[in-house]
Amino acid sequence: MLFNSIDFAIFLPIVFILYWFIFNKNIKLQNCFLVAASYLFYGWWDWRFLLLIIFSTLVDYSVGRGLLKQEKPFKRKILLWVSITVNIGVLVFFKYYNFFLDNFISAFSLFGMEIKANTLNIILPVGISFYTFQTLSYTIDIYKKQLKPSKDIIGFSAFVSFFPQLVAGPIERATNLLPQFYKKRTFDYTKAIDGMRQILWGLFKKIVIADNCAEYANLIFNNSIDYSGSTLVLGAIFFTFQIYCDFSGYSDIAIGTSRLFGFNLMQNFNFPYFSRDIAEFWRRWHISLSTWFRDYLYIPLGGSIGGMWIKIRNTFIIFIVSGFWHGANWTFIIWGALNAVYFLPLLLTNNNRNNIDWVAHGKNFPTIKETLSMILTFGLTVFAWIFFRAKNIEHAWEIISSIFSKTIFILPKGSDFINTSLHPLMIFLLLGIFILIEWIGREQQFAIAKLGLKWNIFYRWFFYTIISLTIILLSGSKQEFIYFQF
Amino acid sequence: MKRFLLQISLFSIIITAIFGIILSLADGNTDPFYIRFTTPKQENLILGTSRAAQGLQPKVFNEICNKNFTNYSFTVAHSPYGKVYLNSIKKKIKENTKNGIYIVTVDPWSISSQTKDPNDLNKFRENKLCVATTQYVDYNPNFFYLIENLNGKYLDIFTKKNNSKIFLHNDGWLEVSPSMDSNETIKRITSKIEDYRKNNLPSYKYSSLRFQYLKNLIEFLNKNGSVYIVRLPIHPSMMNIEDELMPNFNNKIDELTLQSKGYLDMTPLNNKFIYTDGNHLYKDSGEEVSKIIAQWIINNK
Repeated sequence: MLFNSIDFAIFLPIVFILYWFIFNKNIKLQNCFLVAASYLFYGWWDWRFLLLIIFSTLVDYSVGRGLLKQEKPFKRKILLWVSITVNIGVLVFFKYYNFFLDNFISAFSLFGMEIKANTLNIILPVGISFYTFQTLSYTIDIYKKQLKPSKDIIGFSAFVSFFPQLVAGPIERATNLLPQFYKKRTFDYTKAIDGMRQILWGLFKKIVIADNCAEYANLIFNNSIDYSGSTLVLGAIFFTFQIYCDFSGYSDIAIGTSRLFGFNLMQNFNFPYFSRDIAEFWRRWHISLSTWFRDYLYIPLGGSIGGMWIKIRNTFIIFIVSGFWHGANWTFIIWGALNAVYFLPLLLTNNNRNNIDWVAHGKNFPTIKETLSMILTFGLTVFAWIFFRAKNIEHAWEIISSIFSKTIFILPKGSDFINTSLHPLMIFLLLGIFILIEWIGREQQFAIAKLGLKWNIFYRWFFYTIISLTIILLSGSKQEFIYFQF
Repeated sequence: MKRFLLQISLFSIIITAIFGIILSLADGNTDPFYIRFTTPKQENLILGTSRAAQGLQPKVFNEICNKNFTNYSFTVAHSPYGKVYLNSIKKKIKENTKNGIYIVTVDPWSISSQTKDPNDLNKFRENKLCVATTQYVDYNPNFFYLIENLNGKYLDIFTKKNNSKIFLHNDGWLEVSPSMDSNETIKRITSKIEDYRKNNLPSYKYSSLRFQYLKNLIEFLNKNGSVYIVRLPIHPSMMNIEDELMPNFNNKIDELTLQSKGYLDMTPLNNKFIYTDGNHLYKDSGEEVSKIIAQWIINNK
């Protein structure tokens, strides 16, 4: 079920009412209802995918219980590897099987050996990378004795399948989310209203900004051969906003929805395009995944402790794995490696933690230096996104070659975009307003968290009405959330 | 909780009301199909694809046949003969109609399919388009249609208000008024013919299933009145393509003639009319063609 669908608009109020008025008598019943609602939400795509979630839930629950009883380090390790093998195995099979097979065949054909193997017609279960990582973190935390295993299979199932964040995160840590299923939730008016505002802003980002930018980005990337270098740059910029608003919009809706049910999820995006260097960007982009890799991969590998080569190795590993997590395509791997190349100079010169605070903290405008740093960082990310969006490496290379050619000086023409929903100038106007609002709210959890709170109720409602109507009237053609495919 | 529910309900009501008002402003400028789903159930219909939608003018038939006609034709993508179109027509016809007149326009494309297996009903492209998804075809305003089909284009309700090039009349006639400057017209015709030859001719195949649905449609319409089968005129270059696609088209249609009041093949008159793009009659020619067909109906009653 998509967040930006009529189905969800009917589903959410029904679940909300039943949750607070019918199933609020005891916590087990409420959790049980959440599991049922989450399975319905997920099964809306394809009920067969539910079997995978149930399997993953049972495996990690059992491993967790096993780890509680087992004190011998060797046996504990075996249990941990059972969970890792099952979870990663499922992920590899569904997501990477054909990729590995194709590359295996290509590698052998380089040596003149022809291998005949059939690729499988595998449907990728929605959000598999998200819930797999979430359940893995549970087992690893128990193994490291940072978390007590759950005794309550219903609560644990609710943690694994919690519908707001099931298919595209934030990838919650068991230490944060699981205990919330054990405590009685009470309705909090301020939290619920805050949640509604975050949902509204998330919908604006997804439906107005991301979907409209997607029309332009798709048009330009799918017909890249027809466009000049300058138009391709424009396409890359549109994709840069599309992916941010698509994904952070989803996170906002997820976090806002959770608040309606009395839950707190972690912040997943912290205004990354206002970053002054790449290290800051990665502290602000897809925070739940970055911190996951930091805690469960980077630190176990030795982190930034050790010699220069260890640092370089670990940085490349974490970025390449992160790229590969996004999809079974070399473009994602190059995207990850490119970010590692951006990041390394900062790490090696100990400048990776220079920009911890918000940019222009407490001020209205950034300094010239901050502005230039933000533009440079933004430019680097735009360049990297070309690999992320391109169909394959050749396509990315073709786009980059066009950008660095004389055609960069040919101005984009309005006539290139006659079939798009919104006029290009309208898109730029919307982007301008969007960036302004994000800038004003950059020190909050989400851009409109505090905006208008002190206004007279009439103006405040007028503001929300305008956002809502903008969502309705200026919606782009409906697109699936990009991160569902990951 | 009470306060929250009250505020959310009130806010939702305000937004829904404004949204409803905006939707109710949709008209014949909004899109080329909407109005056809807003008129009441009908007794007399003009059926077919975009050739009929743009070419046949109900007001001409009303005058000559002294009946109220509605053009319920869409495009070759939306309304080729098949399950989807048949179901929609069934919904559009007034119950207990006995003396209706139904003009069923036919051409090779409307009984062909682009799917690998031309009889694979589940893969027909109209299955996901508005004729299939609009369950209620006679509501005004038709919120079901607008929410399902205009998603992402609600701004069109305002921005297309003064676009006079395409207008869907209340009787279902789609008036298209492109520039008829001879150079531009030749350009459009050349491009359309090239597109059909390059893309459509190799991909379209005769579908016996679609033909069966055409038979079923005529059978159904016969219960409600009289059926007149018509092949509309087209540009001679388009005719050549159609002859290549289905050289025995008229023989196929002859099978249906017995079930109907007759078959009027107007393609021998192809050279007599003006076309906007080789596929569609220009409105003046459409009026002439409508008169000829109406007169033929009167003569064959």
